[in-house]
Parts: sequence; structure tokens; C-alpha cells
Amino acid sequence: MVGPGVDLIRRMAGGDREALAAFYDLYAPLAFGLLRRMLRDVEEAAEVLQEVFWELWRAAGEYDPRRGSPEAWVTVRARSRGIDRVRSVRRREEMLVAPLSETAAAVPEAMANPGALVEEREMVRGFLRELPAEQREAIALAYLQGMTQSQISAHLGLPLGTVKTRMRLGLERLRGMAGSRT
Amino acid sequence: MSAAHEPFDELVAGHVLDALEGEDARRFAAHRAGGCAECERAIGEYHEALARAAAAFREAPPARVRHALLQRVGEAPARRSRAGLALGWVASVALAAGIAAVVSASWVRARYEARLDQLASEAAGLRAALAEQVHAVSDLRRQLDEQEKTLTLVRAQAAAQERTLALLGDPETRLVSLAGLEPRPQAQGRIIWNARAGGLLVAADLPPPPAGKVYELWAIAGGKPLPAGLFTVDAEGKGSLAVAPLAGVATVEVFAVTLEPAEGVQSPTGAMYLASKKA
Repeated sequence: MVGPGVDLIRRMAGGDREALAAFYDLYAPLAFGLLRRMLRDVEEAAEVLQEVFWELWRAAGEYDPRRGSPEAWVTVRARSRGIDRVRSVRRREEMLVAPLSETAAAVPEAMANPGALVEEREMVRGFLRELPAEQREAIALAYLQGMTQSQISAHLGLPLGTVKTRMRLGLERLRGMAGSRT
Repeated sequence: MSAAHEPFDELVAGHVLDALEGEDARRFAAHRAGGCAECERAIGEYHEALARAAAAFREAPPARVRHALLQRVGEAPARRSRAGLALGWVASVALAAGIAAVVSASWVRARYEARLDQLASEAAGLRAALAEQVHAVSDLRRQLDEQEKTLTLVRAQAAAQERTLALLGDPETRLVSLAGLEPRPQAQGRIIWNARAGGLLVAADLPPPPAGKVYELWAIAGGKPLPAGLFTVDAEGKGSLAVAPLAGVATVEVFAVTLEPAEGVQSPTGAMYLASKKA
């Protein structure tokens, strides 16, 4: 479970800025890719990315390699800040008169870059591709769009119990695959 | 897997995806607070699995983020004033090599243009919301005006009904029938009359008056016709008129209805449609 960044995190905890730069080079693409999928907007994702690494720099002393890899440490923090931003944007849009739906929000990007939607579809297909579609869908809606189980149930028109089961089966399957690789 | 942990299997997955709500979230928090090694292990392993999955999204971030982060970290311990911080930052950008200046400038432009765009978009949204609120308020005012008009009408009707009831309860009130005359023999009329309070005329089967014409009620007292009000009828020939008391008139001998010019006249000029028998 020990990742290549553990030593860098230790040095960061000691105030080593070069270690932060190296740690950033190693893990920022992981965090940024996730934030881009969650927030769609490059500027928003870039802003949140800087906050995430600022927090990681400040929290480096609390990192315990026994509790998780640097990858998990980075993605949990990135995803958490990403969800905060997703939900805050959603609240802001709900307060305004004409909220943009997820689909509508994606349109300008697709118009500006016709390949964007195709590319995005390919990317989402790559994500969790090992899972059956229905499990991938339930996990992606929660993980990338910050939807709760009952929101997913309403969104997909499925019983709440089915959503819970799909999430559990999907995560167990992912965990099993990770275990078989190590 | 322990029996105590088993019911929480699905809640662990929901928790890791930050998708639990309400009772589920409370139950899981209470269970976890009691200490469950299996839950902690599952949480850790699920996070590892998701981190591996998220690697599918790997994407190089814009170079400016690294620059801004290291700048921020480099300046943080100095704890300079905000102005000093800004000046120092600007100065360092100004002193940087040409390429760095271009990158920084484009970063500033991109960053603040995006924020300005966002603020402009939010302001537009707020303006739209405000316009909608103003529209809603004016709509409410209009509804209120309509309701006030309705209320005035209902009050007038209620007052008329009260007057009618008061009239009917007065022993001096009498009911007078008016019969149809030659132009419309089948027409009928009734008038509830009280010399002190006035009265109410109801008419039926009168032809709708032609354009520019109206029916006029006359109270004949002492052989002299006094104008007592104008009225018209609906498509079915029905009409009514509240009649004010006639000053100085104690006894009305005859009530009659004639067809007159729309503005009314002081003495009858047109055909008589209804008349009561002489009291």
C-alpha cells in the first residue's frame, strides 16, 4: 500500500518545498483529471486543484501510510473539495432563475470543441470499465456528480435498495480486482 | 465478516461515495463511532480502489497552478501584509523572464476573466431574478386591485341585500306589480317600495333596448311623473334597479316604465312598457 510519494510527504511535513513540487508533479494529474470530470470547467478545476494541494501541504504531518496510499490520500481530498464545489455550484444555479442542467452546461463546451463530448464519453467509458454498466452508472453518479443515493434512485427511477446494492457490488468488485493485482 | 458488521455493508459503500443521507447517515456514524475494524478496513480499501479507478482520468493541469501553488507556499511563512503580498507578487512577476511574464499575464487574464465572466453571469442571473420579482410584485398588485374591485362589488351587493331585507322587514313596505303594456304585453315587473327607504324594481320579459335607448322608471305622485332611475335588461329580458327614496313624496300612485334616450329624461317621452294599477 506504500506509494512512491510517501517519502515526499514526510519531507513536505518537514517544510521541504522542493518535495511539494515533486509531489505535485507526481500526483496533480491524478487530482486534476478527477476534478475536471467532476467540475467540467477547466478554471474551476484548476482553482480547486490549487486548494487541494495547499491543504495537502498543510496536512502532510498528519499523513499515516498505514491508513492509505498517497494516491488515495490525494484523491479523497480532491474528490471531497470537488464535491463541495459541485454542490455549491448546484445550489447557486438552483437559486438563480434559469439553472443550467448538467446537459445544458455541457453544450457550450461541445460547441466550442466538437470533439469534447466524444472525448468525454471515451473517458467515462474508461472509468470503472471493469464493472457492469449499471454498477458503473450508480458509482459514477455519486462519485463524479455528488448525487446521494436517494437522488440517484429518483434520477434513474430505481428503488433505493437497488441503488444501494449496485454501489456495494460495484465497490466490492473494484476492491477485489485491486486486491488480486497486488 | 462479523455479524455485527454485516448489516452495514451497504452503508459503507454509500459512505465512501458520500451518498448517504438522513437515517442511513446517522446509523452509520453511530456504528462507526462504536469502532468497527471491518468498516475501517473496507473504507480504506474502497478508497484505494476508487483512486486506482480515478487514474483513468489523469490529465496534466495548466502550468500556472503549479506556479501559483509554489508561490503561495513560498510566501506563506513570511506573513506579509496583504498589500505587501500583492506588491511582492507583482514585482516578482515583473522581474521574471519574458516567457514567465507571458505565462503569468495569461494566467492573470484567464483567471480574472473567468471570474469576471462568472460574476457577470451571476449578476445577469440576479438581474433576471429581480426583474421576475418586480414582475411578480406588479402581478400581485394587479390581482390585489382586482380583488379590491370584487370586494367593493360584493360589499355593494351585500349592502343592497341588507337594504332589501330591511325593506322587507318594514311594515310600511309594499309590493307593487307592474303589468306589460302594448309594445310587450307579456312583460312583468315588481317593485318593493318603502317611501322612507326607497325600493327595488325587478323586471322580466322586456325586449333589450335598442342602441342609444334605456328603460326609465317613473313614480307618479300627485298626478306628476317623477324620474326614479334608469335601467337596462339582459339578453333574457331581465333587469333590476335600486330606487332611491323620493324627496317629499309620501305616496306613489303609479309606477311606470318607458323607453327613453340613454341619458334619461325629466318627463316621459317614449313608449310605456310597464305600469302598475293606481294605488
